[in-house]
Amino acid sequence: MYLARIDGTLTSTIKHETLGGFRFLIAQRLEGDGSGSGEPQVVIDMIGARVGSLVLVTTDNEAVRKASKNTTPVRLAVMGIVDSVYPEPGAAA
Amino acid sequence: MRLGVVRGTVVLSHALPTLAGVRLVILEPVTAERLAAGNPGGGKCLIAADQLGPGIGQMVGFAEGRTAASPWYPNDIPVDAYCCLIVENLDYTPPKVAAKPNVRKTKKVRQ
Repeated sequence: MYLARIDGTLTSTIKHETLGGFRFLIAQRLEGDGSGSGEPQVVIDMIGARVGSLVLVTTDNEAVRKASKNTTPVRLAVMGIVDSVYPEPGAAA
Repeated sequence: MRLGVVRGTVVLSHALPTLAGVRLVILEPVTAERLAAGNPGGGKCLIAADQLGPGIGQMVGFAEGRTAASPWYPNDIPVDAYCCLIVENLDYTPPKVAAKPNVRKTKKVRQ
């Protein structure tokens, strides 16, 4: 699980059969100092995160499997929208 | 699931029996800088299994790791990257000013 900032949205018509009906968002994983780390990831959103939201992303595909089928290849899903983090990412150490 | 741009395809002459009929594409993963600059690409190329048939130059989302073989469940197949979706429309708006760590600078002391 990690914290990520939602940087964009994505639509797709041609996709794996288990992915119908899901919203896709572009998430940027965050370091402790608030900077982005690694490459942008496509995550599945079932709870309504928006661009700019700070979210908690799970890397276990159980969340997607429960909502779809056992054959889904996707792992990353938004687990929750963050209300507060202490200390805030980017705050002085 | 990362984003990647399709750069080509791979065909095997001899392959493990479980790989029969699996299409393979060459993907160039997309980095945040290159995506923001409107010139997707920049990552280290990799090969992914594919059942969707994207064209060269199209952007796809690909899963990595053990779950990339899930579409063949309950059969086991030695695939660790799988093309999940073809990107139709991408709206990417990262914050313009990246949050910088607010670290107090120490003064240099002249010797």
